[in-house]
Amino acid sequence: MSTTAASTSGAAGSADSSPPRRNSKRPKYSKFTQQELPACKPILTPKWVISAFTLISVIFIPIGVASLLASRDVVEIVDRYETDCIPESLRGEKATKLAHIQDPLSNKTCQRNLTVPKHMKQPIFVYYQLDNFYQNHRRYVKSRNDEQLRKGREANTTSGCDPEDTTSDGSPIVPCGLIAWSLFNDTYNFTRNEQSLNVNKKDISWKSDRDRKFGDNVFPKNFQNGTLIGGGSLNPNISLSKQEDLIVWMRTAALPTFRKLYGKIEVDLEANDVITVVLQNNYNTYSFGGKKKLVLSTTSWLGGKNDFLGIAYLTVGSLCLFLAMAFFIVYLVKPRRLGDPSYLSWNRNPSGH
Amino acid sequence: MRSESQDWRERRRSAADSMRKETHQGNGVMVPRTTKTLVGGREGGREGSGKNPFAGPYGLLSTVAILYEEINEICTGHIQTAAAAERENPQVAERGILNLSRFLSSKMSGWDRVRSARSRLGGRTGRQSSSRTVHLGHVQPQNPAHRTIYCNDRDANLITGFKGNSVSTTKFNVLTFLPKGLFEQFRRVANLYFLFISILSTTPISPVHPITNVVPLSLVLFVSLVKEAFEDWKRLLNDRVINGTPIDVLHDQKWENIPWKKLQVGDIVRVKQDGFFPADLVFLASTNPDGVCYIETANLDGETNLKIRKALERTWDYLLPDKAAEFKGEIQCEQPNNSLYTFTGNLIIQKQTLPLSPNQILLRGCSLRNTEYIVGAVVFTGHETKVMMNAMSVPSKRSTLERKLDKLILALFGVLFLMCFIGAIGSGVFINRKYYYLGLGEGVESQFNPNNRIVVAILTMFTLITLYSTIIPISLYVSIEMIKFIQSTQFINKDLHMYHIESDTPALARTSNLNEELGQVEYIFSDKTGTLTRNLMEFFKCSIAGEVYGTGITEIERGSAQRNGPKIDQVKGSAAAVHEKGFNFDDARLMHGAWRNERDPETCKEFFRCLAICHTVLPEGDESPEKITYQAASPDEAALVTAAKKFGFFFYRRTPTVIMVRESHIEKMGKIQDVSYEILNVLEFNSTRKRQSVVCRYPNGRIVLYCKGADTVIYERLMEGNHNMKKATREHLGQFGSSGLRTLCLAYRDLSSEFYGSWNEKFIQAKSSLRDREKKLDVVAELIEKDLILIGCTAIEDKLQDGVPSCIETLSRAGIKIWVLTGDKLETAINIAYACSLINNDMKQFIISSETDEIREVESRGDPVEIARIMRDLVKQELKRCLEEAQCYLHSLSAPKLALVIDGKCLMYALDPSLRVTLLNLCLNCSSVVCCRVSPLQKAQVTSLVKKGARKITLSIGDGANDVSMIQAAHVGVGISGLEGMQAVMASDFAIAQFRFLTDLLLVHGRWSYLRICKVVTYFFYKNLTFTLTQFWFTFQTGFSGQRFYDDWYQSLYNVIFTALPVIILGLFDKDVSASLSKKYPGLYKEGIRNSFFKWKVVAVWAFFSFYQSLVLYNFTVAASSNSLNSSGKMIGLWDVSTMAFTCVVVTVNLRLLMACNSITRWHHISISGSILAWFIFIFIYSGVMTPYDRQENIFFVIFVLMSTFYFYLCLLLVPIVALLGDFVYLGIQRWFFPYDYQIVQEIHRNDPEVSSRAELTEIGSQLTPDEERSYAISQLPRETSKHTGFAFDSPGYESFFALQAGVLTPQKAWDVARRASMRTQQPRTPQN
Repeated sequence: MSTTAASTSGAAGSADSSPPRRNSKRPKYSKFTQQELPACKPILTPKWVISAFTLISVIFIPIGVASLLASRDVVEIVDRYETDCIPESLRGEKATKLAHIQDPLSNKTCQRNLTVPKHMKQPIFVYYQLDNFYQNHRRYVKSRNDEQLRKGREANTTSGCDPEDTTSDGSPIVPCGLIAWSLFNDTYNFTRNEQSLNVNKKDISWKSDRDRKFGDNVFPKNFQNGTLIGGGSLNPNISLSKQEDLIVWMRTAALPTFRKLYGKIEVDLEANDVITVVLQNNYNTYSFGGKKKLVLSTTSWLGGKNDFLGIAYLTVGSLCLFLAMAFFIVYLVKPRRLGDPSYLSWNRNPSGH
Repeated sequence: MRSESQDWRERRRSAADSMRKETHQGNGVMVPRTTKTLVGGREGGREGSGKNPFAGPYGLLSTVAILYEEINEICTGHIQTAAAAERENPQVAERGILNLSRFLSSKMSGWDRVRSARSRLGGRTGRQSSSRTVHLGHVQPQNPAHRTIYCNDRDANLITGFKGNSVSTTKFNVLTFLPKGLFEQFRRVANLYFLFISILSTTPISPVHPITNVVPLSLVLFVSLVKEAFEDWKRLLNDRVINGTPIDVLHDQKWENIPWKKLQVGDIVRVKQDGFFPADLVFLASTNPDGVCYIETANLDGETNLKIRKALERTWDYLLPDKAAEFKGEIQCEQPNNSLYTFTGNLIIQKQTLPLSPNQILLRGCSLRNTEYIVGAVVFTGHETKVMMNAMSVPSKRSTLERKLDKLILALFGVLFLMCFIGAIGSGVFINRKYYYLGLGEGVESQFNPNNRIVVAILTMFTLITLYSTIIPISLYVSIEMIKFIQSTQFINKDLHMYHIESDTPALARTSNLNEELGQVEYIFSDKTGTLTRNLMEFFKCSIAGEVYGTGITEIERGSAQRNGPKIDQVKGSAAAVHEKGFNFDDARLMHGAWRNERDPETCKEFFRCLAICHTVLPEGDESPEKITYQAASPDEAALVTAAKKFGFFFYRRTPTVIMVRESHIEKMGKIQDVSYEILNVLEFNSTRKRQSVVCRYPNGRIVLYCKGADTVIYERLMEGNHNMKKATREHLGQFGSSGLRTLCLAYRDLSSEFYGSWNEKFIQAKSSLRDREKKLDVVAELIEKDLILIGCTAIEDKLQDGVPSCIETLSRAGIKIWVLTGDKLETAINIAYACSLINNDMKQFIISSETDEIREVESRGDPVEIARIMRDLVKQELKRCLEEAQCYLHSLSAPKLALVIDGKCLMYALDPSLRVTLLNLCLNCSSVVCCRVSPLQKAQVTSLVKKGARKITLSIGDGANDVSMIQAAHVGVGISGLEGMQAVMASDFAIAQFRFLTDLLLVHGRWSYLRICKVVTYFFYKNLTFTLTQFWFTFQTGFSGQRFYDDWYQSLYNVIFTALPVIILGLFDKDVSASLSKKYPGLYKEGIRNSFFKWKVVAVWAFFSFYQSLVLYNFTVAASSNSLNSSGKMIGLWDVSTMAFTCVVVTVNLRLLMACNSITRWHHISISGSILAWFIFIFIYSGVMTPYDRQENIFFVIFVLMSTFYFYLCLLLVPIVALLGDFVYLGIQRWFFPYDYQIVQEIHRNDPEVSSRAELTEIGSQLTPDEERSYAISQLPRETSKHTGFAFDSPGYESFFALQAGVLTPQKAWDVARRASMRTQQPRTPQN
């Protein structure tokens, strides 16, 4: 019976080789895998809602009052002049206005009288404000070359400046691009009581712009040499970093209505002073119907006259107060016991259908 | 002779060379791994056999027959001799055929060349004719249905160009990685969209620099590609190790060590103990004297029990190298295919044809055990091995939520289009020469050319698409993938609550796609055996000769007794009760030989012998009753053999031909006697036969057939007479069934040696047939399995798993409806349903059963058409009646819950398209449904009925191979990785060890995942919409020119850095209520079923607040900036405002996330403050340095300018608070007046201390109840594994039919393996004997 013996050995062998029990596959305990990380579990109870609202209003209302007061402190004189500075006979038609402004020989001098309503403490900032001027248009925003503005040797770099990149004979324009080309060029001269008021045009741009974005070895070249004159011209002997009007202009505004700083009057103005402004109305806003305004303003710690923040803070603060009260009343009128099991859907509708 | 053969081989080679091209093309059709072509291939094979009138035991002759058809006009004479020879003597015939084929090959090499040349010219028709040429048996080995392998002859095999044995499972190589990997990535629509946007942004119409879109896209691609590359690298290393594994190959009469990859088809290899088979081998010889070897197939199907393989006796000698070198066989076998458990082929050795069966095949991936070494011949290599052909990726499922996400993305596209459209119209209207400062003179590019406003609008449209591209959340998919991956690998796989100590099995998420689907399941389809029950079979009762033995009371009986009121006294098992694994029987009348005093001891003896002999169990270990363990294909079998052992018929040894039984108490008490029964034939179990028989010869020459099987099958085949006993036994069967026991009938038949002899010849013929072997064997079995004599029946208890009733109760309180689909009998199924509290007495039950008198009567008449017609009508009536009744109940006030019980036969008719709707309506009204006696196909059909018909989310849970189709059909498939094999687990999406873990899987992990993913998705939607809308509002103030509000880098880093991490943290850690509360309040789960957190309403609320917030964010920052901002009077510009706005956006969006959190861990703090901090660090660095590229100076120093103003601080405080005020009010009102359930639960338990509910789990295991200890001890025993659930009704035929329809792989009949392994191999005998 050799077969039997063989089978026996086989059977015995198979018993020996029954696979050894492996190490336990039991997962290790950790707070992460068992999802038991310590956590705080905020519950948005009415108590929380009401106190959050109250807290917001307590913080916001004082801030609102403070900023509103700051804004009210600011004295601001705004004078819109784009229509008034066109000779009366030419005011009717857009075409005649355009012809006047585009005629290099016409007399564009214009005189405005401003009355100071309240005492204005120096420094008094002079702004010009344009309207309907899309400095944020895509074609406009990208029409500059920062390399060129920064480095003297990069004068030939005019990429992105189309169509104001080169003159018709191909030499590069410095500074190139539509932004520089359309530089604002109205000028203002202020006199009080026949006495000229000095306008300080230094330090009207951000220091970072002057120091780093506009090179002190970059000089205007071929600027406004073309057939079409877009705006102001630049003194080719002054480096760009000193041309603060340009620097201010080239920090493009976010909205189509914007103010830009023109200069500073560094004397106090008394109430009822009459300021005479002699302005050169050079800049063409007539083709697109834009407004031009001259603004004289003081500042507070919060900046210029802007009620928005103050009103917003006040409104939100009082809204929160109102909401807090509303919640409180609703809470009283229609209370719900916290954690009332009868609100559970399966208790409300026991059949489950 | 040698020279001659070389000669014809050479000639053939030249012919074959010219053929190779065609053959390869032919292969190309066969090989693609789609089921369709495979099926097509099989059908082709069948067709071939159908045409062949000689298909029979002699494979070679069948090829001759084809040959005959093909070439009779060429050489009629030779064929005639061959045909004549065949009639006289097959061996002569074979020689004749060999001669003939040589002759033909010499003739045909030229003829073939002509044909193949023609085929090359003639295209498709030509190829067909050439593939017909391939039929020519020996001459052209690459027959579509066969491959011919010359063993130990590399040169001969060379010409057919079999594939090598090197295996590559990598997706890419160095060269294809980038193109292929990128291609894979760009198949995602979101990525493709961003590629398109990136390309657009390199054109001048783009307002943004390409980096804006390229950076996020490349980051996303980079992350995905790194992941792919890493996974592929691991695969590559793995492949290298495998391909480099050394193996002994016969070369020049000695074993030579070569790596696996060098192995070729036809090589003779030696595999040593514990080694893996390098390819699919034909087993030739083994060091075990009887030519057997033992293999472990754990890699294939997860079964750890050993299986026996047996070599053909003819090849036993080829063991030593010098002897093996002489082996020059020729193997004809099937083409490579993926069926693991079938193999058809012949070994032709010295002109003798021997049939090969799966019993001689050693599959790659298995390993050798208990055998010093074996020698085998390689038949399939590399990718053609069966295991590799099986490595088909299961089509991945996508979750419902993800599909809805696609709709959301589509909606976003709609919004995007609308925004762009508005902008485009605006730009067309705006553009005008009057804005002279824009330089719109002659020669302006067409995008700004006022002369053609339409073009301006169209181009601006594209500009805006690039500008608003951020509305589509590019990182959403990557983030969700990461979240889900961590959820499944870290949370689900490592949850201690789902770790089963006894079987040492943690839960396993096999896919991370479906985590959130788990939170929305409404219907669970559960298998019964092994899923609800333990599949630990115990011999519990029996009925012998019409007498019931066994005093135990099942849990189910106890349960039903409780239902019916009168309490049964807890019957304490007598002290003598023997309790062993598989045996829980207590009746003194049978134990310790007491049966000899019973009324009919002879029948008892037959009963025990039947138990001890009629099985396919392998004994293992010491041959003593205490130490032996039984390796069985199913636990039922092991239980029966154990029972025989306990009754004194100890089966202790099996050889291929003999079963040894140690019988005690036969003659007189205490006497022991070893009896060897010669096993003559084994008629295997399969699910159509539902029975199993063994023919054995007693030492005294008595030949007996023992049969055991399902009652219906056995009763059909009983001898006339002895009605009383039949009736009594039938009653007992009913009793056992209603106690939830599994029953089997035993019968025997004495055979005369003449009858047996004649039958055996037919059997051998059937067994060696090449085609349809299974079917023929079944037919032959019918011939002998008749006129049986009933012995009795056995009853096996299958206990409920731990915690099943409470789990089911919890799940049903969670609004989940549980259906039980089982192959068991109606009574058993109903009882199990009662036991696990699916059905109770308060419920109105509808029972639709085919076991009515009416149907029986029709069936006895036996006209199938008539039966079908009447059944359909009856089922229709029943369904209608039940539905009407159900609707009545529904409308009444105190409606009882409804339950439906339906059996497989009725279900077959009810699933008919005309009745399907009625069935579905009825089912949906019922809170529980039990389908019994259903086939795997029907399980899947019922699943897809609910999935597709009712559009509800379904989950299937099962443990056996018969559940595979159901698991694949459902939205979520869960496999029980318990005692049965791995088939169900392999097909499943999640695997758990116990049914009760479903509570944790669904109510905890599923619910959380759903909640988290919903939040992540809606939040992503919100943050991108908010961001893009601020951009949109700006467009209105730029003359619709498409100027970007934000710097390029802000925009590109917004998604990938400044808002990326917190949302992932939310997706991982957000937790509304703790795990224990999730289970304590199952009703919370209903929010998932109702999809409360991802409805359009929820999305609309987010969208509304996103709209509101964007308005606040944009307008507040802009309005506050219109004047000088500090006392220096200087003005700020565009980039200052946008930086301010962006700061507010980042802060707001991150704080909004904090508001959405239910629980805030330190990770939330870190990530949220980290993200805000990251923005500030970034902007300080970015605006602090000047890079040599233009466009960047816009930002230079911006933040420092801003921070020198009060504006910055006031806005930073005001804007986010105002923006979030709306959400805050909404959340407050929602919570107070329309609370979600989870919010109430949070409130109820707001003061509960944070208990580490799982800490105690670390100590579990030290204190076990006696019951637990026992089951723990049992689980320590070697695993009992099985592929089928007893003898219940399951039919693989249906399965493959279904698979064909669904286009998936046919589940393998895995349960046949073990049986085949132990089958006695029939030596081929010539018909003359």
